[in-house]
Amino acid sequence: MSNDVMIYANDLSKSFGSFRALDKINFEVKRGEIVGFLGPNGAGKSTTMRILTCFISPTSGTARVNGHDVFDAPLQVRESLGYLPQRAPLYLEMSVLEYLRFAAELRHLPADTFRKRAKSVVEVCGLAQVLGREIRHLSHGYRQRVGLAQALIHDPPILILDEPTSDLDPNEKAEFLDYLKQIGQERTVMLSTHNLAEVEASCARAIIVSSGRIVADGPLDEIRAKSGRVRYVVSVQESPGTASYRGRGEPPKKSEVETALGAVGGVKKLGDLPTDERAHAFELVSDREVDLRPDVFRLAADKGWVLLELHRDAQTLEDVFRSLTIGDERRNRHVGPESDAGDDEQDGAGDDDADESPRGASRDRHEKTASDRS
Amino acid sequence: MRNIWIIARRDLRAQFNSPVAYVVIGGTLFLVGVLVFLIPHVGNAFMGNFWELDRATMDQMFLYLPPLMCLFVVPAVTMRAIAAEKGSGTLELLITMPVRDSDVILGKFFACLAVVLILLAATLLYPIAMFVWPWHLGPLDWPTVWAGYLGCLLFSSAAVAVGMMLSSLTESDVIAFFMTSATLSILYAIGWMASISPSREVSSTRAPSSISCRSQRFAFS
Repeated sequence: MSNDVMIYANDLSKSFGSFRALDKINFEVKRGEIVGFLGPNGAGKSTTMRILTCFISPTSGTARVNGHDVFDAPLQVRESLGYLPQRAPLYLEMSVLEYLRFAAELRHLPADTFRKRAKSVVEVCGLAQVLGREIRHLSHGYRQRVGLAQALIHDPPILILDEPTSDLDPNEKAEFLDYLKQIGQERTVMLSTHNLAEVEASCARAIIVSSGRIVADGPLDEIRAKSGRVRYVVSVQESPGTASYRGRGEPPKKSEVETALGAVGGVKKLGDLPTDERAHAFELVSDREVDLRPDVFRLAADKGWVLLELHRDAQTLEDVFRSLTIGDERRNRHVGPESDAGDDEQDGAGDDDADESPRGASRDRHEKTASDRS
Repeated sequence: MRNIWIIARRDLRAQFNSPVAYVVIGGTLFLVGVLVFLIPHVGNAFMGNFWELDRATMDQMFLYLPPLMCLFVVPAVTMRAIAAEKGSGTLELLITMPVRDSDVILGKFFACLAVVLILLAATLLYPIAMFVWPWHLGPLDWPTVWAGYLGCLLFSSAAVAVGMMLSSLTESDVIAFFMTSATLSILYAIGWMASISPSREVSSTRAPSSISCRSQRFAFS
């Protein structure tokens, strides 16, 4: 293990009774990395973080933080950590300053260091106006910031933040993420969140967990490329309203547009989007290599339709996240986390042609391959 | 050591930031006053009050303090010790700080014990008022009084430990209060239950295991 690996987890498992919260998780985080730890609720994010901070012990496997084993040297591990649990751990009857002083004292910060650190932390977390107020009188956002300040007070080399931004407003979020990026250059930050935009804004790397397993781990671009699909949104005018219709002939019917778009070469999937009565909107999905936009434009021009909107979304992290984690949730509901046995058979109510189960069919109602249409 | 002190200091401040400590200390002083000085001799239940006894002694006070501690003082002081921290999530902060678990427990223990000690110190007002100033009702045997306080201190240390353990089993301070109150009362009353038992064997073997029996040795001249 090189010196630069700050967090190291090897085959970490944690069971609560018969429930397996973590199932052999392996990962490493190096110095200077900001890692987004993503996953749906109950995926095992908090459990992992609690193991790394020595709050609970793993059922099996090993974890090392800053070179110290969480079993053998919990005090050294805790010394090198700043930890913000999911629910900010606050003593409501203390004032903000008292609380920060208490945290600093427990970490044996000398008084003058505390004064210096408190100044910068208070500034970063925007706590200047509430320093003397009792925490019980603070709003949610402020409480979250106080918790954060506590995690930063001793300037730790490793920060573990469990949903640090969940109660912040958008401005505060942006500021906080900027700050993270700033301090993240020589420190190691691991933050969990469901908010993917945050990960995209602040992290270079993401680990996606789902029902106790890591389903993706790598740089964001790599994860984004995982599904290899591109999405297009096309909307065609349906009715001009009071204005005069600028297209050729009559405005097209929905089925007409749908059929024509489905026939465009390279379309993997076609779905309609909700709109008002002025337009037909569709969502097309194609492989990454092909660009559908020229074909869609040509089609609209040839037919004389009024094209209101045509744009191409690179696959967002959100889509990847959904495609990586939804399948798992579905499997869990039917089979339970212990068994990996084929999920489709379970879905399909005894239908042995597993792929065309009733659930799958209704979900994919709009999915049409190009070959079906041609 | 330093960690224990830091945690104890914070907990003690929290105790006195909430009304609980004041209510406990004030309420106990009031109850002790009523029980010792006002309740007359009634059947077997009350031994007769300070005046009826007509001796220069504080025995009555040391008779009533341990049961009050069991029922009311110690449960109220320890109920929040760990239960509240669990409920509000601050235990996660303490445990993930670079302090040993034993530091956290000892810090909390000493904070609770300090509240009880403050209460005990306050009860000194009664012997002082009766025998030193403003009244001099007679020559009080002070060593007996100190022995009584020593007994109360040792007893309350044990009771606080029991209360903290029960507080750690739940997230609700109300439940912690009643569990502690019930447990300590049963421990206290074993002797009395044994004494009313028809079997001589039970009364002779069980009585020494009760708190009341143990604590009486300290105080009664």
